[in-house]
Amino acid sequence: MSNNWEMVIGLEVHAQLKTSSKLFSSSPNQFGSEPNENVNFIDSGMPGMLPVMNFGCIEMAIKTGYALNFKINKHSVFERKNYFYPDLPQGYQISQFEFPILSEGYINIESGDNQKKIRIERAHLEQDAGKSIHDIDPKYSFIDLNRVGTPLLEIVSYPDLSSADEVINYISSLRQLLMYINVCDGNMQEGSLRADVNLSVRKKGQELGTRCEIKNLNSFKFIKQAIEYEFQRQINIIDGGGEIEQNTMLFDTSTGETRAMRSKEFSHDYRYFPDPDLLPVNLSQEQIDKVKPLVGELPQDKLKKYLDNFSLDKEIAKIIIAEKQNANLFEKMISESTVKPKFIAVWLVGDIFAFIKENNLEVNSLNDKTKDITDLLRLISDDVISNKAGKEILPKVLNGEGKPSELVKKLGLEQVSDSGELEKIIDEALVGEEENILKFQEGSDRVLGYFVGKCLKATKGKGNPKLINKILLERLKK
Amino acid sequence: MSDIDIKRISYLAKLKLPLEKEEFYSNSLKDIIKWVDNLKKVDTSRTEPLHNVTKKTVSIRNDEVSKSNSVDDVLSNAPERAQNFFKVPKVVE
Repeated sequence: MSNNWEMVIGLEVHAQLKTSSKLFSSSPNQFGSEPNENVNFIDSGMPGMLPVMNFGCIEMAIKTGYALNFKINKHSVFERKNYFYPDLPQGYQISQFEFPILSEGYINIESGDNQKKIRIERAHLEQDAGKSIHDIDPKYSFIDLNRVGTPLLEIVSYPDLSSADEVINYISSLRQLLMYINVCDGNMQEGSLRADVNLSVRKKGQELGTRCEIKNLNSFKFIKQAIEYEFQRQINIIDGGGEIEQNTMLFDTSTGETRAMRSKEFSHDYRYFPDPDLLPVNLSQEQIDKVKPLVGELPQDKLKKYLDNFSLDKEIAKIIIAEKQNANLFEKMISESTVKPKFIAVWLVGDIFAFIKENNLEVNSLNDKTKDITDLLRLISDDVISNKAGKEILPKVLNGEGKPSELVKKLGLEQVSDSGELEKIIDEALVGEEENILKFQEGSDRVLGYFVGKCLKATKGKGNPKLINKILLERLKK
Repeated sequence: MSDIDIKRISYLAKLKLPLEKEEFYSNSLKDIIKWVDNLKKVDTSRTEPLHNVTKKTVSIRNDEVSKSNSVDDVLSNAPERAQNFFKVPKVVE
Protein backbone atom coordinates (compact mmCIF):
# COMPACT_ATOMS: atom_id res chain seq x y z
CA MET A 1 0.00 0.00 0.00
CA SER A 2 2.65 2.49 -0.96
CA ASN A 3 -0.03 4.85 -2.31
CA ASN A 4 -0.47 6.92 0.85
CA TRP A 5 3.27 6.90 1.58
CA GLU A 6 5.66 9.48 0.28
CA MET A 7 9.43 9.64 0.38
CA VAL A 8 11.40 12.62 1.60
CA ILE A 9 14.94 12.85 0.29
CA GLY A 10 17.90 15.10 0.90
CA LEU A 11 21.20 14.62 -0.90
CA GLU A 12 24.85 15.06 -0.18
CA VAL A 13 26.70 15.25 -3.48
CA HIS A 14 30.48 15.03 -3.48
CA ALA A 15 32.07 16.67 -6.49
CA GLN A 16 35.79 16.22 -7.08
CA LEU A 17 37.26 19.52 -8.17
CA LYS A 18 39.19 19.57 -11.43
CA THR A 19 42.32 21.22 -10.09
CA SER A 20 45.86 20.28 -11.13
CA SER A 21 47.06 19.75 -7.56
CA LYS A 22 45.45 18.60 -4.32
CA LEU A 23 43.58 20.67 -1.73
CA PHE A 24 46.45 21.05 0.73
CA SER A 25 49.45 19.60 -1.10
CA SER A 26 51.03 20.06 -4.52
CA SER A 27 50.76 16.37 -5.48
CA PRO A 28 49.01 15.79 -8.80
CA ASN A 29 45.22 15.49 -8.61
CA GLN A 30 44.95 12.75 -11.19
CA PHE A 31 42.85 9.64 -11.67
CA GLY A 32 44.27 6.36 -12.93
CA SER A 33 47.94 6.73 -11.93
CA GLU A 34 50.04 3.85 -10.59
CA PRO A 35 49.31 3.05 -6.90
CA ASN A 36 50.70 5.64 -4.46
CA GLU A 37 52.30 7.55 -7.33
CA ASN A 38 50.64 10.87 -6.39
CA VAL A 39 51.42 10.82 -2.68
CA ASN A 40 53.75 13.11 -0.78
CA PHE A 41 54.46 13.40 2.94
CA ILE A 42 51.50 15.71 3.59
CA ASP A 43 49.10 13.26 1.90
CA SER A 44 50.54 10.28 3.77
CA GLY A 45 50.10 12.05 7.10
CA MET A 46 53.75 12.20 8.13
CA PRO A 47 54.33 14.00 11.42
CA GLY A 48 55.27 17.65 11.15
CA MET A 49 54.01 18.18 7.61
CA LEU A 50 51.81 21.25 7.20
CA PRO A 51 48.90 21.68 4.80
CA VAL A 52 48.95 24.70 2.48
CA MET A 53 45.69 25.84 0.90
CA ASN A 54 45.33 25.60 -2.89
CA PHE A 55 43.71 28.87 -3.99
CA GLY A 56 42.40 27.16 -7.15
CA CYS A 57 39.96 25.25 -4.94
CA ILE A 58 38.65 28.48 -3.42
CA GLU A 59 38.13 29.95 -6.87
CA MET A 60 36.20 26.87 -7.97
CA ALA A 61 34.06 27.03 -4.84
CA ILE A 62 33.27 30.69 -5.55
CA LYS A 63 32.35 29.87 -9.16
CA THR A 64 30.02 27.16 -7.86
CA GLY A 65 28.59 29.73 -5.49
CA TYR A 66 27.57 31.95 -8.39
CA ALA A 67 26.21 29.06 -10.50
CA LEU A 68 24.09 27.56 -7.70
CA ASN A 69 22.81 30.87 -6.31
CA PHE A 70 24.70 30.55 -3.03
CA LYS A 71 25.63 33.13 -0.48
CA ILE A 72 29.44 33.19 -0.75
CA ASN A 73 30.88 33.48 2.74
CA LYS A 74 33.85 35.73 3.26
CA HIS A 75 34.77 33.84 6.39
CA SER A 76 35.07 30.06 6.47
CA VAL A 77 36.96 27.66 8.73
CA PHE A 78 38.59 24.28 8.21
CA GLU A 79 38.00 21.72 10.93
CA ARG A 80 39.16 18.20 11.63
CA LYS A 81 36.66 15.37 11.41
CA ASN A 82 38.22 12.57 13.43
CA TYR A 83 37.89 8.87 12.64
CA PHE A 84 40.21 5.93 12.06
CA TYR A 85 40.35 4.03 8.82
CA PRO A 86 43.37 2.61 6.96
CA ASP A 87 42.85 4.83 3.92
CA LEU A 88 42.84 7.99 6.07
CA PRO A 89 46.47 8.29 7.15
CA GLN A 90 46.07 11.55 9.09
CA GLY A 91 43.41 10.03 11.34
CA TYR A 92 41.13 12.94 10.45
CA GLN A 93 39.57 14.46 7.38
CA ILE A 94 40.02 18.20 6.96
CA SER A 95 36.58 19.57 6.21
CA GLN A 96 34.42 22.59 6.94
CA PHE A 97 31.76 22.27 9.58
CA GLU A 98 30.38 25.29 11.38
CA PHE A 99 31.52 27.84 8.81
CA PRO A 100 31.25 26.49 5.24
CA ILE A 101 32.38 28.58 2.28
CA LEU A 102 28.89 28.52 0.69
CA SER A 103 25.46 28.62 2.25
CA GLU A 104 21.78 28.86 1.25
CA GLY A 105 21.72 28.22 -2.48
CA TYR A 106 19.19 26.62 -4.82
CA ILE A 107 18.69 25.26 -8.30
CA ASN A 108 15.54 24.69 -10.34
CA ILE A 109 14.89 21.21 -11.65
CA GLU A 110 12.22 19.68 -13.83
CA SER A 111 9.53 17.71 -12.07
CA GLY A 112 6.98 16.38 -14.51
CA ASP A 113 5.92 19.35 -16.60
CA ASN A 114 6.81 21.84 -13.90
CA GLN A 115 9.89 23.45 -12.47
CA LYS A 116 10.71 22.77 -8.85
CA LYS A 117 13.06 24.79 -6.72
CA ILE A 118 15.44 22.62 -4.70
CA ARG A 119 17.04 24.48 -1.83
CA ILE A 120 20.65 23.76 -0.98
CA GLU A 121 21.68 24.21 2.62
CA ARG A 122 25.43 24.49 2.18
CA ALA A 123 28.52 23.48 0.26
CA HIS A 124 31.91 23.03 1.82
CA LEU A 125 35.45 22.12 0.84
CA GLU A 126 37.01 18.94 2.16
CA GLN A 127 39.65 16.30 1.45
CA ASP A 128 38.86 12.97 -0.13
CA ALA A 129 40.21 9.77 1.48
CA GLY A 130 42.32 7.04 -0.14
CA LYS A 131 41.16 3.75 -1.53
CA SER A 132 41.11 0.32 0.12
CA ILE A 133 41.24 -2.71 -2.12
CA HIS A 134 39.87 -5.82 -0.44
CA ASP A 135 39.76 -8.39 -3.20
CA ILE A 136 43.45 -9.02 -3.93
CA ASP A 137 44.28 -10.93 -0.76
CA PRO A 138 41.97 -12.90 1.58
CA LYS A 139 43.64 -11.67 4.76
CA TYR A 140 44.87 -8.20 3.90
CA SER A 141 43.56 -4.96 2.49
CA PHE A 142 45.74 -3.05 0.04
CA ILE A 143 45.84 0.71 0.36
CA ASP A 144 46.33 3.23 -2.43
CA LEU A 145 46.61 6.80 -1.14
CA ASN A 146 46.54 8.55 -4.51
CA ARG A 147 43.08 9.97 -3.85
CA VAL A 148 44.00 11.28 -0.39
CA GLY A 149 43.70 15.04 -0.35
CA THR A 150 41.79 15.35 -3.63
CA PRO A 151 39.62 18.45 -3.26
CA LEU A 152 35.92 17.76 -2.84
CA LEU A 153 33.03 20.15 -2.73
CA GLU A 154 30.24 18.57 -0.71
CA ILE A 155 26.88 20.01 -1.71
CA VAL A 156 24.14 19.37 0.84
CA SER A 157 20.53 19.85 -0.20
CA TYR A 158 17.49 20.36 1.99
CA PRO A 159 15.04 17.41 2.04
CA ASP A 160 13.12 18.93 -0.88
CA LEU A 161 13.16 15.90 -3.18
CA SER A 162 10.26 13.47 -3.28
CA SER A 163 10.93 10.85 -5.95
CA ALA A 164 13.75 8.91 -7.57
CA ASP A 165 13.15 10.85 -10.79
CA GLU A 166 13.49 14.18 -9.01
CA VAL A 167 16.73 12.99 -7.43
CA ILE A 168 18.09 12.03 -10.83
CA ASN A 169 17.01 15.35 -12.35
CA TYR A 170 18.64 17.18 -9.46
CA ILE A 171 21.94 15.34 -9.79
CA SER A 172 21.88 15.71 -13.60
CA SER A 173 21.33 19.45 -13.27
CA LEU A 174 24.10 19.79 -10.71
CA ARG A 175 26.43 17.75 -12.89
CA GLN A 176 25.58 19.85 -15.94
CA LEU A 177 26.21 23.11 -14.07
CA LEU A 178 29.49 21.95 -12.52
CA MET A 179 30.70 20.83 -15.94
CA TYR A 180 29.64 24.12 -17.54
CA ILE A 181 31.67 26.15 -15.07
CA ASN A 182 34.55 23.71 -15.47
CA VAL A 183 35.01 22.77 -11.83
CA CYS A 184 34.22 19.02 -12.10
CA ASP A 185 34.58 16.55 -14.96
CA GLY A 186 31.28 14.89 -13.99
CA ASN A 187 32.67 11.40 -14.56
CA MET A 188 30.51 9.31 -12.25
CA GLN A 189 32.18 6.04 -13.21
CA GLU A 190 35.52 7.31 -11.96
CA GLY A 191 33.86 8.66 -8.84
CA SER A 192 34.23 12.35 -9.69
CA LEU A 193 30.60 12.79 -8.66
CA ARG A 194 29.09 10.64 -5.90
CA ALA A 195 25.92 10.95 -3.89
CA ASP A 196 24.78 9.99 -0.41
CA VAL A 197 20.99 9.70 -0.22
CA ASN A 198 19.12 10.54 2.99
CA LEU A 199 15.68 9.01 2.80
CA SER A 200 12.72 8.85 5.15
CA VAL A 201 9.08 7.97 4.60
CA ARG A 202 5.87 9.46 5.91
CA LYS A 203 2.16 9.31 5.27
CA LYS A 204 1.20 12.21 3.05
CA GLY A 205 1.05 15.46 4.96
CA GLN A 206 2.52 14.10 8.20
CA GLU A 207 5.74 14.96 9.98
CA LEU A 208 9.18 13.80 8.84
CA GLY A 209 10.09 10.22 9.72
CA THR A 210 13.44 8.82 10.84
CA ARG A 211 15.93 8.83 7.99
CA CYS A 212 18.53 6.38 6.76
CA GLU A 213 21.56 7.41 4.77
CA ILE A 214 22.63 5.33 1.77
CA LYS A 215 26.31 5.95 1.15
CA ASN A 216 28.41 6.36 -1.95
CA LEU A 217 26.19 5.87 -4.96
CA ASN A 218 27.92 6.59 -8.23
CA SER A 219 25.50 5.87 -11.05
CA PHE A 220 21.99 7.02 -11.91
CA LYS A 221 20.89 3.40 -12.21
CA PHE A 222 22.08 2.50 -8.72
CA ILE A 223 20.66 5.69 -7.22
CA LYS A 224 17.22 4.85 -8.61
CA GLN A 225 17.42 1.21 -7.50
CA ALA A 226 18.66 2.09 -4.02
CA ILE A 227 15.92 4.68 -3.50
CA GLU A 228 13.15 2.36 -4.63
CA TYR A 229 14.43 -0.50 -2.47
CA GLU A 230 14.95 1.64 0.63
CA PHE A 231 11.52 3.29 0.25
CA GLN A 232 9.81 -0.11 0.25
CA ARG A 233 12.03 -1.45 3.06
CA GLN A 234 11.06 1.40 5.38
CA ILE A 235 7.36 1.10 4.54
CA ASN A 236 7.45 -2.65 5.21
CA ILE A 237 9.03 -2.09 8.62
CA ILE A 238 6.44 0.49 9.66
CA ASP A 239 3.53 -1.49 8.22
CA GLY A 240 4.77 -4.51 10.16
CA GLY A 241 4.54 -2.50 13.38
CA GLY A 242 8.28 -1.75 13.59
CA GLU A 243 10.23 1.45 13.89
CA ILE A 244 12.93 2.85 11.61
CA GLU A 245 16.33 2.90 13.20
CA GLN A 246 18.56 5.75 12.06
CA ASN A 247 21.29 3.95 10.18
CA THR A 248 23.95 4.25 7.57
CA MET A 249 23.21 1.86 4.72
CA LEU A 250 25.30 0.37 1.99
CA PHE A 251 23.83 -0.47 -1.40
CA ASP A 252 24.77 -3.86 -2.79
CA THR A 253 24.99 -3.41 -6.54
CA SER A 254 24.73 -7.16 -7.23
CA THR A 255 21.49 -7.75 -5.31
CA GLY A 256 19.94 -4.28 -5.64
CA GLU A 257 19.38 -4.22 -1.86
CA THR A 258 20.41 -1.88 0.92
CA ARG A 259 21.80 -3.15 4.23
CA ALA A 260 22.93 -1.47 7.42
CA MET A 261 26.69 -1.04 7.85
CA ARG A 262 28.24 -3.33 10.43
CA SER A 263 30.42 -2.27 13.39
CA LYS A 264 27.92 0.12 14.87
CA GLU A 265 28.56 -0.56 18.55
CA PHE A 266 28.81 3.18 19.00
CA SER A 267 27.25 5.84 16.86
CA HIS A 268 29.71 8.10 15.11
CA ASP A 269 31.25 10.93 16.99
CA TYR A 270 33.62 12.87 14.81
CA ARG A 271 34.71 15.36 17.48
CA TYR A 272 35.09 18.25 15.03
CA PHE A 273 37.41 21.05 16.04
CA PRO A 274 39.11 23.87 14.09
CA ASP A 275 42.31 22.63 12.45
CA PRO A 276 45.18 24.33 14.27
CA ASP A 277 47.37 23.98 11.16
CA LEU A 278 45.06 26.12 9.04
CA LEU A 279 44.03 29.69 9.69
CA PRO A 280 40.50 30.75 8.74
CA VAL A 281 39.83 31.63 5.10
CA ASN A 282 39.03 35.33 4.92
CA LEU A 283 38.10 36.55 1.47
CA SER A 284 37.78 40.15 0.35
CA GLN A 285 34.86 41.29 -1.80
CA GLU A 286 37.41 42.01 -4.50
CA GLN A 287 38.65 38.41 -4.51
CA ILE A 288 35.07 37.16 -4.82
CA ASP A 289 34.10 39.65 -7.54
CA LYS A 290 37.13 38.74 -9.60
CA VAL A 291 35.82 35.20 -10.09
CA LYS A 292 32.39 36.22 -11.39
CA PRO A 293 33.40 36.73 -15.04
CA LEU A 294 34.91 33.23 -15.07
CA VAL A 295 31.48 31.67 -14.54
CA GLY A 296 30.43 32.23 -18.15
CA GLU A 297 27.10 31.43 -19.75
CA LEU A 298 25.06 28.83 -17.85
CA PRO A 299 22.75 26.27 -19.48
CA GLN A 300 19.59 28.22 -18.67
CA ASP A 301 21.08 31.37 -20.30
CA LYS A 302 21.86 29.40 -23.44
CA LEU A 303 18.39 27.82 -23.53
CA LYS A 304 16.80 31.24 -23.41
CA LYS A 305 19.09 32.55 -26.14
CA TYR A 306 18.46 29.55 -28.40
CA LEU A 307 14.70 29.88 -28.05
CA ASP A 308 14.46 33.67 -28.27
CA ASN A 309 17.18 34.51 -30.79
CA PHE A 310 17.41 31.37 -32.92
CA SER A 311 13.80 30.10 -32.58
CA LEU A 312 14.97 26.55 -31.99
CA ASP A 313 12.57 23.81 -31.00
CA LYS A 314 12.64 23.46 -27.21
CA GLU A 315 13.45 19.75 -27.33
CA ILE A 316 16.28 20.32 -29.79
CA ALA A 317 17.66 23.24 -27.78
CA LYS A 318 17.67 21.08 -24.65
CA ILE A 319 19.69 18.37 -26.35
CA ILE A 320 22.25 20.96 -27.44
CA ILE A 321 22.62 22.61 -24.03
CA ALA A 322 22.80 19.26 -22.21
CA GLU A 323 26.56 19.36 -22.46
CA LYS A 324 28.78 22.33 -22.89
CA GLN A 325 30.75 20.76 -25.72
CA ASN A 326 27.51 20.37 -27.73
CA ALA A 327 26.74 24.04 -27.24
CA ASN A 328 30.29 25.03 -28.13
CA LEU A 329 30.17 23.06 -31.39
CA PHE A 330 26.78 24.55 -32.28
CA GLU A 331 27.85 28.12 -31.54
CA LYS A 332 31.07 27.68 -33.49
CA MET A 333 29.07 26.65 -36.56
CA ILE A 334 26.71 29.59 -36.18
CA SER A 335 29.55 32.05 -35.90
CA GLU A 336 31.31 30.67 -38.98
CA SER A 337 28.40 30.49 -41.38
CA THR A 338 25.25 32.22 -42.60
CA VAL A 339 23.18 29.04 -42.60
CA LYS A 340 20.13 29.48 -40.37
CA PRO A 341 20.83 28.32 -36.78
CA LYS A 342 17.58 26.37 -36.78
CA PHE A 343 18.69 24.41 -39.83
CA ILE A 344 22.12 23.73 -38.29
CA ALA A 345 20.49 22.60 -35.03
CA VAL A 346 18.27 20.03 -36.73
CA TRP A 347 21.22 18.49 -38.55
CA LEU A 348 23.38 18.62 -35.42
CA VAL A 349 21.05 16.68 -33.13
CA GLY A 350 20.03 14.42 -36.01
CA ASP A 351 22.61 13.04 -38.41
CA ILE A 352 25.72 14.59 -36.82
CA PHE A 353 25.06 13.26 -33.30
CA ALA A 354 24.06 9.91 -34.81
CA PHE A 355 27.45 9.78 -36.53
CA ILE A 356 29.23 10.67 -33.28
CA LYS A 357 27.37 7.94 -31.42
CA GLU A 358 27.92 5.30 -34.09
CA ASN A 359 31.63 5.97 -34.21
CA ASN A 360 32.04 6.42 -30.46
CA LEU A 361 33.53 9.90 -30.82
CA GLU A 362 33.78 12.89 -28.52
CA VAL A 363 31.63 15.81 -29.62
CA ASN A 364 34.57 18.20 -29.54
CA SER A 365 36.53 15.99 -31.95
CA LEU A 366 34.44 17.67 -34.67
CA ASN A 367 35.54 21.16 -33.69
CA ASP A 368 37.98 21.34 -36.61
CA LYS A 369 35.37 20.14 -39.11
CA THR A 370 32.79 22.84 -38.53
CA LYS A 371 33.65 24.76 -41.69
CA ASP A 372 33.12 21.67 -43.87
CA ILE A 373 29.90 20.84 -42.08
CA THR A 374 28.41 24.28 -42.56
CA ASP A 375 29.58 24.31 -46.21
CA LEU A 376 27.62 21.11 -46.71
CA LEU A 377 24.58 22.50 -44.91
CA ARG A 378 24.77 25.58 -47.12
CA LEU A 379 24.61 23.36 -50.24
CA ILE A 380 21.55 21.63 -48.84
CA SER A 381 19.72 24.76 -47.76
CA ASP A 382 20.47 26.39 -51.15
CA ASP A 383 18.97 23.35 -52.90
CA VAL A 384 22.21 22.62 -54.73
CA ILE A 385 21.86 19.08 -53.42
CA SER A 386 18.87 17.26 -51.98
CA ASN A 387 18.38 16.44 -48.32
CA LYS A 388 18.91 12.82 -49.19
CA ALA A 389 22.19 13.53 -50.96
CA GLY A 390 23.27 15.59 -47.92
CA LYS A 391 22.73 12.61 -45.64
CA GLU A 392 24.83 10.52 -48.00
CA ILE A 393 27.72 12.98 -48.09
CA LEU A 394 27.76 13.97 -44.39
CA PRO A 395 29.59 10.87 -43.04
CA LYS A 396 32.21 11.28 -45.77
CA VAL A 397 32.73 14.93 -44.82
CA LEU A 398 33.00 14.00 -41.13
CA ASN A 399 35.46 11.23 -41.97
CA GLY A 400 37.56 13.82 -43.77
CA GLU A 401 37.17 12.20 -47.19
CA GLY A 402 36.96 15.53 -48.98
CA LYS A 403 35.40 18.95 -49.23
CA PRO A 404 31.59 18.94 -49.61
CA SER A 405 31.61 20.60 -53.05
CA GLU A 406 34.22 18.13 -54.36
CA LEU A 407 32.28 15.17 -52.99
CA VAL A 408 29.08 16.43 -54.61
CA LYS A 409 30.84 16.59 -57.97
CA LYS A 410 32.64 13.30 -57.53
CA LEU A 411 29.48 11.44 -56.63
CA GLY A 412 27.38 13.29 -59.20
CA LEU A 413 24.84 14.35 -56.59
CA GLU A 414 24.25 17.88 -57.80
CA GLN A 415 20.57 18.63 -58.29
CA VAL A 416 19.21 19.78 -61.60
CA SER A 417 17.92 23.24 -60.75
CA ASP A 418 17.98 24.59 -64.29
CA SER A 419 14.32 25.36 -64.92
CA GLY A 420 14.71 25.19 -68.72
CA GLU A 421 16.03 21.67 -68.50
CA LEU A 422 13.40 20.65 -65.99
CA GLU A 423 10.59 22.12 -68.09
CA LYS A 424 11.71 19.99 -71.01
CA ILE A 425 11.71 16.84 -68.90
CA ILE A 426 8.33 17.65 -67.40
CA ASP A 427 6.73 18.34 -70.76
CA GLU A 428 7.96 14.98 -71.98
CA ALA A 429 6.64 13.27 -68.87
CA LEU A 430 3.19 14.74 -69.41
CA VAL A 431 2.83 13.38 -72.92
CA GLY A 432 0.00 10.82 -73.04
CA GLU A 433 -1.19 11.65 -69.52
CA GLU A 434 -4.33 13.54 -70.55
CA GLU A 435 -6.54 11.35 -68.38
CA ASN A 436 -4.49 11.98 -65.21
CA ILE A 437 -4.21 15.69 -65.95
CA LEU A 438 -7.98 15.82 -66.10
CA LYS A 439 -8.22 13.99 -62.78
CA PHE A 440 -5.95 16.58 -61.19
CA GLN A 441 -7.95 19.43 -62.56
CA GLU A 442 -11.05 17.77 -61.07
CA GLY A 443 -9.40 17.98 -57.67
CA SER A 444 -7.40 14.78 -57.15
CA ASP A 445 -4.21 15.81 -55.34
CA ARG A 446 -2.92 12.29 -55.38
CA VAL A 447 -2.12 12.61 -59.04
CA LEU A 448 0.38 15.37 -58.28
CA GLY A 449 2.50 12.98 -56.26
CA TYR A 450 2.43 10.56 -59.15
CA PHE A 451 3.65 13.24 -61.56
CA VAL A 452 6.42 14.46 -59.22
CA GLY A 453 7.63 10.89 -58.86
CA LYS A 454 7.59 10.35 -62.60
CA CYS A 455 9.59 13.54 -63.26
CA LEU A 456 12.11 12.80 -60.50
CA LYS A 457 12.64 9.40 -62.01
CA ALA A 458 13.19 10.99 -65.42
CA THR A 459 15.96 13.15 -63.85
CA LYS A 460 17.47 10.05 -62.27
CA GLY A 461 16.60 11.46 -58.87
CA LYS A 462 18.66 14.60 -59.31
CA GLY A 463 15.88 17.01 -60.15
CA ASN A 464 15.23 19.67 -57.55
CA PRO A 465 11.91 18.48 -56.09
CA LYS A 466 10.77 21.96 -55.09
CA LEU A 467 11.34 23.29 -58.58
CA ILE A 468 9.69 20.28 -60.19
CA ASN A 469 6.68 20.79 -57.99
CA LYS A 470 6.44 24.42 -58.93
CA ILE A 471 6.75 23.88 -62.69
CA LEU A 472 4.35 20.95 -62.60
CA LEU A 473 1.70 22.99 -60.85
CA GLU A 474 2.04 25.72 -63.45
CA ARG A 475 1.69 23.22 -66.27
CA LEU A 476 -1.19 21.30 -64.73
CA LYS A 477 -3.27 24.34 -63.88
CA LYS A 478 -3.34 25.52 -67.49
CA MET B 1 29.68 18.01 34.66
CA SER B 2 28.53 15.04 32.61
CA ASP B 3 29.80 11.57 33.32
CA ILE B 4 32.82 10.20 31.52
CA ASP B 5 32.10 7.21 29.30
CA ILE B 6 35.63 5.86 29.36
CA LYS B 7 34.82 2.82 27.18
CA ARG B 8 33.50 5.01 24.43
CA ILE B 9 36.39 7.44 24.65
CA SER B 10 38.99 4.70 24.41
CA TYR B 11 37.09 3.16 21.51
CA LEU B 12 37.04 6.45 19.62
CA ALA B 13 40.76 6.98 20.28
CA LYS B 14 41.52 3.37 19.30
CA LEU B 15 43.26 2.84 22.64
CA LYS B 16 43.08 -0.47 24.46
CA LEU B 17 42.38 0.14 28.13
CA PRO B 18 42.87 -2.63 30.72
CA LEU B 19 39.73 -3.09 32.80
CA GLU B 20 41.49 -2.30 36.09
CA LYS B 21 42.75 1.03 34.71
CA GLU B 22 39.33 2.29 33.65
CA GLU B 23 38.48 3.93 36.92
CA PHE B 24 41.87 5.57 37.21
CA TYR B 25 41.67 7.17 33.74
CA SER B 26 38.06 8.07 34.21
CA ASN B 27 38.92 10.01 37.37
CA SER B 28 41.95 11.65 35.76
CA LEU B 29 39.85 12.89 32.87
CA LYS B 30 37.21 14.19 35.27
CA ASP B 31 39.89 16.20 37.07
CA ILE B 32 41.14 17.68 33.80
CA ILE B 33 37.66 18.69 32.70
CA LYS B 34 36.91 20.17 36.09
CA TRP B 35 40.01 22.31 35.78
CA VAL B 36 39.16 23.39 32.22
CA ASP B 37 35.63 24.19 33.36
CA ASN B 38 37.10 27.13 35.21
CA LEU B 39 36.86 28.92 31.88
CA LYS B 40 33.08 28.86 32.21
CA LYS B 41 33.37 31.45 34.95
CA VAL B 42 34.25 34.04 32.34
CA ASP B 43 31.29 35.90 30.89
CA THR B 44 31.56 35.48 27.09
CA SER B 45 28.04 36.55 26.19
CA ARG B 46 29.38 39.65 24.41
CA THR B 47 32.45 38.03 22.83
CA GLU B 48 32.70 36.71 19.29
CA PRO B 49 34.03 33.14 19.03
CA LEU B 50 37.72 33.17 18.21
CA HIS B 51 39.20 30.56 15.90
CA ASN B 52 42.70 31.78 15.97
CA VAL B 53 44.65 34.23 18.06
CA THR B 54 46.24 35.86 15.04
CA LYS B 55 44.09 38.01 12.77
CA LYS B 56 45.78 36.48 9.74
CA THR B 57 44.09 34.57 6.97
CA VAL B 58 45.08 31.13 5.71
CA SER B 59 48.27 31.06 3.66
CA ILE B 60 47.66 30.06 0.07
CA ARG B 61 49.52 28.73 -2.93
CA ASN B 62 48.71 28.67 -6.63
CA ASP B 63 47.26 25.52 -8.17
CA GLU B 64 50.55 24.06 -9.39
CA VAL B 65 51.92 20.54 -9.25
CA SER B 66 55.29 19.62 -7.87
CA LYS B 67 56.63 16.24 -6.87
CA SER B 68 59.14 16.04 -4.07
CA ASN B 69 59.45 12.33 -3.41
CA SER B 70 59.22 8.86 -4.91
CA VAL B 71 56.73 6.06 -4.23
CA ASP B 72 59.47 4.23 -2.36
CA ASP B 73 59.96 7.20 -0.04
CA VAL B 74 56.30 7.13 0.87
CA LEU B 75 56.26 3.38 1.41
CA SER B 76 59.53 3.24 3.32
CA ASN B 77 57.79 3.49 6.71
CA ALA B 78 55.01 1.07 5.85
CA PRO B 79 54.87 -1.93 8.21
CA GLU B 80 54.22 -4.06 5.15
CA ARG B 81 53.96 -3.39 1.46
CA ALA B 82 52.81 -5.38 -1.53
CA GLN B 83 54.02 -4.06 -4.87
CA ASN B 84 53.32 -0.36 -4.50
CA PHE B 85 50.45 -0.72 -2.03
CA PHE B 86 50.39 -0.42 1.73
CA LYS B 87 49.38 -3.81 3.06
CA VAL B 88 47.21 -3.77 6.21
CA PRO B 89 45.09 -6.27 8.14
CA LYS B 90 41.75 -6.61 6.39
CA VAL B 91 39.19 -3.97 7.30
CA VAL B 92 35.95 -4.42 5.44
CA GLU B 93 32.85 -2.36 5.95
